[in-house]
Amino acid sequence: MRSYLVIVFAGIGQLLAAAPVAAHHAFAAEFDAEQPVRLEGTVARMEWISPHSWLHLDVPKPDGTVERWMVEGGPPNALFRRGITQESLPVGTEVVIEGFRARDGSMRANGRDITLTDGSRPFVGPFGSGAPGDGPTR
Amino acid sequence: MGLRGTVCAALVVLGTHTTVLWGQSTDYVASRAADGQPDLNGIWQALNTANYDLQGHPARPAMALMPTPRSGEPPGTGRATPGALPAPAVRALGAVGGVPAGQGVVTGDEIPYQPWAAAQKQENAEHWLERDPEIKCFLPGVPRATYMPYPFQIFQGTDKILIAYEFAGASRTIHMDEVGSSPSPTWMGWSRGRWEGETLVVDVTGFNGQTWFDRAGNFHSDALHVVERYTPISPNHLMYEATIEDPNVFTEAWEIRMPLYRRLESDKQLLEYECVEFVEQLMYGDLGVIDPETGQRNE
Amino acid sequence: MGHRKLSAVIAILVSAPLLAQSPSPDDWAQPRTPWGDPDLQGIWRYEATIPLERPDHLGGREFLTDEEVAEIERVEEELAANRLAGLDGTEVGKRTVEESPIRGNEYNSFWQDHGRARQVFSQTSLIVDPPNGKLPYTEDAREAADRSVARYGVGPFESYLDPDTGERCLTDGATIMMWQGPNGGHNRIVQSPGYVTIVHEEYHDRRIIPVDGQPPRGVPQWLGDSVGRWEGETLVVETTNFLDKTNYEWANIWSRASDALRLVERFERVDSDTMRYTMTIEDPKTFTRPWTAVIPIFRLSDDTHIFEYACHEGNYALSNMLSAGRADAEKQ
Repeated sequence: MRSYLVIVFAGIGQLLAAAPVAAHHAFAAEFDAEQPVRLEGTVARMEWISPHSWLHLDVPKPDGTVERWMVEGGPPNALFRRGITQESLPVGTEVVIEGFRARDGSMRANGRDITLTDGSRPFVGPFGSGAPGDGPTR
Repeated sequence: MGLRGTVCAALVVLGTHTTVLWGQSTDYVASRAADGQPDLNGIWQALNTANYDLQGHPARPAMALMPTPRSGEPPGTGRATPGALPAPAVRALGAVGGVPAGQGVVTGDEIPYQPWAAAQKQENAEHWLERDPEIKCFLPGVPRATYMPYPFQIFQGTDKILIAYEFAGASRTIHMDEVGSSPSPTWMGWSRGRWEGETLVVDVTGFNGQTWFDRAGNFHSDALHVVERYTPISPNHLMYEATIEDPNVFTEAWEIRMPLYRRLESDKQLLEYECVEFVEQLMYGDLGVIDPETGQRNE
Repeated sequence: MGHRKLSAVIAILVSAPLLAQSPSPDDWAQPRTPWGDPDLQGIWRYEATIPLERPDHLGGREFLTDEEVAEIERVEEELAANRLAGLDGTEVGKRTVEESPIRGNEYNSFWQDHGRARQVFSQTSLIVDPPNGKLPYTEDAREAADRSVARYGVGPFESYLDPDTGERCLTDGATIMMWQGPNGGHNRIVQSPGYVTIVHEEYHDRRIIPVDGQPPRGVPQWLGDSVGRWEGETLVVETTNFLDKTNYEWANIWSRASDALRLVERFERVDSDTMRYTMTIEDPKTFTRPWTAVIPIFRLSDDTHIFEYACHEGNYALSNMLSAGRADAEKQ
């Protein structure tokens, strides 16, 4: 499945062209591909906003201080429609972020890969009833 | 209890049973929408100064004033001192930037702030230019969207009532069917509606706490809970009442009331007020390498 | 719902665009509002794989072969299954940042998981006229479109004028609204006597369409000035009086607000869950001739919500881009 899909994707990528690119900024305008970061910390605050959600992360450093990072995520509305709510990532949740640092060197990064400390990904799987078009259970 | 208190008490007694409005009959039954409920479809607008200040206030030169010198001597024994002066940032607007006098829309004219919150409100008012979300064209929230000086339009659809506001293109969907709660806090809140006789009652929760009630710095937290009542009182008027609760900010619930007036122009149309474009120079002009105002590099 | 049946419906419609009434495969009857207008209310979204323009490598073919369709279906199902399982990274052919610094799958796929695969059709382009399935740009507009693609994500980003109108949280334009994706592309249609109102999730764009027979009111707007009428069970909307915002950057030149733009749309519900949306765009400042696209749009279940999209209020990205631009300038 893996390698085959890679080959197939490259070959018919054009046929898979979706609806026109939504006018969201590109990663490269904000973040630096030459500055990968890996952050392990706890959720201090989650802004479930569009077009990008923002995860405020407390990252403990070896010297005992705590850095506050802002991590850019994707748009949350598709998650909401699958039944995810703000309770799904409560303050204090431990997460691992792999991404790239802001070009201006500040403590911001894009959350290219967000995982929980057990290695699983948050927000995965069917919520609601899992049927197509089904809304949240609540 | 003095005369004012007696009159207020009488109005409260009357108000709990009927919607008394300055001689207006309360027996009005609105024409029906297709589903048999009162027909609120149309373009409406508030006509008051509530967006400046929910409470009664005299006219003054500008929203943003600057501190002015005082003589400290008994009046008349020294030279004249200035009255209130517009802050430099707004001075060029002259009378266009002035604040008109207005009667309050708050029942009892007092907003029951907790002591810390009363101080916060004062501070908000003193920092209006930097803090009022209206200036940045942020979504106005509820109930402020209702009484901003722009019209709004009510569309009664099937199971959903849509209210479209001109300011910032704000909209609300009022769910008349059973829905869950909001997955996360928002600027315009999460609205659930029902009919009580002739009144549309809308229960609004799920606010993010970032809006203000007016330009005077009246504010709330994300625990805000608003219950609105829209009652037709004539073919061209609604009575709008909103009960406001926020246990983080106020000591008790309080209420605002005002008429809403139907826009009667035969070709009336809700128009755009897409103000994000209007505030970009203010918000971002000096953030980039180049300032679009001059085309020169920022420093 | 099999894709073939829908594509057959769309194919018939494409080949006979003047048909006022489409064949209804399921003896389905158009519901009516209580006051008798055709009822289009609900949440609608474009969820298909058809590109706007016909890809060059297809040699002008209007339809894909059955094998090509089957392959796309297989890939879409696989992508959906991978999203469901939380698979990311190289397992699903993610491009590395080196391969695609602009569109290198910047976020986990769970953000894009709508719970189902996209629907596959055999049409090779949404554009049906001109027959070659390509946007009939003027020379200047073609230059603008090429420039827009080349600068996406690359910049420079030296002021708030450099990002496009969407990145500035203004709008992506009226012509893209009914079928924009992949996120924020949901539309709610609400009907009341004399009006059809469309609220679009992204940028909370909103179009109020009077169907009361009055002429356009004449005040120009970003999303134009619409008047609608019913032709049988089809809603026909004509929109003119667009503000001219062509001085701004637009992600899609073909959707920009131009004061020469005239947009004619036909909304026809062909069954309970499908709408045939036809749009004809005329803009002599951008195109050498009018062009038409036929787009299948799908109705989602009634408990689907449009959520608030407070783009400007949370537009950290814009200030971050400008800050990045300054940092880059200082490094030089």
